[in-house]
Amino acid sequence: MNTLASSRFASSRLLGPVVSILAVILGLAISFALIALNGQPPGEAARALFDGAFGSKKQTAATIARALPLVLVALGWIVAFSARRINVGLEGQMIVGGITGTCIALYLPGVPTGLHLVLALIVGIAGGAVYAGIAAGLWAWRGVNEIVSTLLMNFIALQLLSWVVRGPMKAPGVRSNRSGTIPDSAQWSNLIAQSPLNIDVFMVVGLALLVAWMLRYTTFGMRLRVTGANEHAARASGIRTVSVGLTALMVSGGLAGLGGAGLVLGGETEVMAEGFASSFGLEGIVVALLALNSPRATIPAALLLASLHQGGGLMEARLGVPAELTLVTQGIVLLFVTGSAAIVRRARTVRVDLDEVDSDRSQASLGPTAQVTT
Amino acid sequence: MVNTEYAKAVLGSDAPRGASEPEPVADREPLLRLTDITKTFPGVVANRDVNLELYTGEILGLLGENGAGKSTLMNIVTGLLRPDGGSIEVNGEAIQMRNTQDARRLGIGMVHQHFMLVPTMTVAENVALGMSARRPPLSDVQRIADELRDVSARYGLHVDPDATVESLSVGERQRAEILRLLKHRAKVLIFDEPTSVLTPQEWIELSHVFRDLAAEGRGIIFITHKLDELLGIADRCTVMRDGEVVGTIPAAGADRQTLATMMVGREVVLRVKRPRVPAREIALEVRGVSLERGGRTLLDNVSFSVHQAEVLGIVGVDGNGQSELVQLLTGLVSASEGAILILGDERHNLTPREFIDLGGAVIPEDRHERGVALDLDLRDNLMMADFATSEYSARGVLKTSAIMSRCDRLIEQYDIRAPNSNVRVDQLSGGNQQKTVLAREMDRGPALLIAAQPTRGLDVGAVEFVYQQINEHKRNGGATLLISTELDEAFTLSDRIGVMFDGRLLRILDADEATVDEVGLLMAGEEISA
Repeated sequence: MNTLASSRFASSRLLGPVVSILAVILGLAISFALIALNGQPPGEAARALFDGAFGSKKQTAATIARALPLVLVALGWIVAFSARRINVGLEGQMIVGGITGTCIALYLPGVPTGLHLVLALIVGIAGGAVYAGIAAGLWAWRGVNEIVSTLLMNFIALQLLSWVVRGPMKAPGVRSNRSGTIPDSAQWSNLIAQSPLNIDVFMVVGLALLVAWMLRYTTFGMRLRVTGANEHAARASGIRTVSVGLTALMVSGGLAGLGGAGLVLGGETEVMAEGFASSFGLEGIVVALLALNSPRATIPAALLLASLHQGGGLMEARLGVPAELTLVTQGIVLLFVTGSAAIVRRARTVRVDLDEVDSDRSQASLGPTAQVTT
Repeated sequence: MVNTEYAKAVLGSDAPRGASEPEPVADREPLLRLTDITKTFPGVVANRDVNLELYTGEILGLLGENGAGKSTLMNIVTGLLRPDGGSIEVNGEAIQMRNTQDARRLGIGMVHQHFMLVPTMTVAENVALGMSARRPPLSDVQRIADELRDVSARYGLHVDPDATVESLSVGERQRAEILRLLKHRAKVLIFDEPTSVLTPQEWIELSHVFRDLAAEGRGIIFITHKLDELLGIADRCTVMRDGEVVGTIPAAGADRQTLATMMVGREVVLRVKRPRVPAREIALEVRGVSLERGGRTLLDNVSFSVHQAEVLGIVGVDGNGQSELVQLLTGLVSASEGAILILGDERHNLTPREFIDLGGAVIPEDRHERGVALDLDLRDNLMMADFATSEYSARGVLKTSAIMSRCDRLIEQYDIRAPNSNVRVDQLSGGNQQKTVLAREMDRGPALLIAAQPTRGLDVGAVEFVYQQINEHKRNGGATLLISTELDEAFTLSDRIGVMFDGRLLRILDADEATVDEVGLLMAGEEISA
């Protein structure tokens, strides 16, 4: 029994990534089958999809640039979810982070280059964290479900943005609703000239690694994981689970805020306009789900979604395949990855004590499903 | 000593063992026959070529450790699971069961450990729910209630059919379950650990019911891990281990040691000797503690103290305030009134962290709920109370090598059967999960141990280990508050025994002078005039 068990334990480490990659391939294959069914050549569609995402240096740069805020949002989701707090308000926190960061960039002139950017980013982080903190505080002290509050606060943030770009932050003398131009001192410098890719790529990759390390090797990460895995046991072990949940949500909001600030301070338009964060919030959650809540895996997952987005445009232009098809691809891949994760989980779980499991679960589920708990 | 008295109490009743005199087995057609039943789950063979026969008028004990395959087998017999191989015969006829309704039609019924009753409905309504009737199931409730009254009087199963289930005591709920089976005309009655919720006196009553039912020509399968109860009532015992039947022996000639050895596969020390250590200063003092929640008094003016090098056992039927007492002492809830003093330090709003820092350790009653985090690996589970100490972290960063070496040491020292500390805890057996909790809590060198149902659901071997740990703690001068529903356990470990009933601590008796009868009566709430 023991040797059988240990060989299973060993092989299970690689199982997750392998199954995820297979799920992605399968999802793409089905999408191209759909294209073929629609009468278009799937080979050329694939070609167009690839060219659109990675066809030239500039396109590759754009794809990577699009992936970066997705990674930040996904990391935010993962930090909250580690403590089993569900933050669906990442988009709102991005927006607030973008607004507060932009305020520093625009209204605090004369700060030296570099420091100005850092300051703007820090205030962006703070904005996102405080905004998430409102929902977190309501949860901690009033027992308000954070899923509901964070979701609804997205709408407030959207309206707030709508208002500031029309009112207090509107650039004078222009017709469109946008802020003034971000001064150079508060802008990310380009990594590749004439492309949207900035040097923040290093920061984002570093943050992904940092979050992975934080969850595994710090006391804060331990508190998050224990609280998330079993709140009762965590509390009995002397962990203050409420303050852990509160902190987790605020850190989560901070990461989203950083993503939002980065979008404005690194954007090609050099202004904050309405809808600057649109779709990043929800797509970032998709990235986290695709990555199966592993911080490092958010990088390939975000690149996948970003390339589908970038490539979809060219596919439509060249072949007339609607770009929305990439959303279908996204959905199929997501279904496969999360579905197979459940299978992996079950394969990993070698129940040694069947009797106990049966009797423990029998009270919870009376139906015939009780038998499947092994 | 306690056990012989206990066994005598059961055996000494006037009903003859095995109502129909055991005839030569081969001559009779069994009521239920399982032949070569095999059932596998991914990675595990739960049942392998299991053969079992149950005869009319017989009480068959089914014995085995957790994971031996008893529940799987009974789930097959009651139609919840389908076997991969083998055959089932009822009254000599081979049958196939697709679901639990099939089993019920064939006259097979089970009283589960966790009762399958709808709490908000009356007993009669619950019975009606399971009836296959042409009319809407609840239209006949009045008639069913009347019939239940007859059945209940005939067997001495006292339950009011019109009472809602939630208003019943555990013993009454169990009787309601039995009534339901009888109403469904069950011929084969399976009882999964029926005694875990009963006082000794209630168990004696139930054993009479068992005999009456058997005498009428029904067959009873009685699953338990308590050897004494089994020997007191069963005609034959079938012992399972690792999914296979080790053997079936007549109960008359069997003794505890033989059965335990069959069960575990090695010699087991059944009687752990209680060390005699002179008790020292008070480690825990509880002064007039009360707890109210939602208008209900869960703890009512409870006072006691536990000394160093002493085990105070608190017994009682489940649900009489023991869980609340543990939550209160470990800082999970705050008392409405009264004070708790740990090593002389008085606290009103104790937090779990303070409890630990004051030298407390706890083995929670529900391992999966409070003891371990099943989704985390063994290392996290071993570390989750101590990772923030300077020994295992500095400036918020965990000291991985110190943690690794501690985990390796604990795995070794507490004999946790796991390939390494990266294993997820839900892959360990219940016994090894409990050892994980023990290792985490005891390694701190606690001054006060609160052990709530520390052996619940554990097999004989693991029970032995837990007992040794508690005695070791006592020899080292530690105080232990043992909360247990098992009298046997309380008498084995405790120096003094307190009885809880309805949120009150009725009395604390010296374990050397107390008798099972006395404690049993107190557990039922009957005050004995001193």
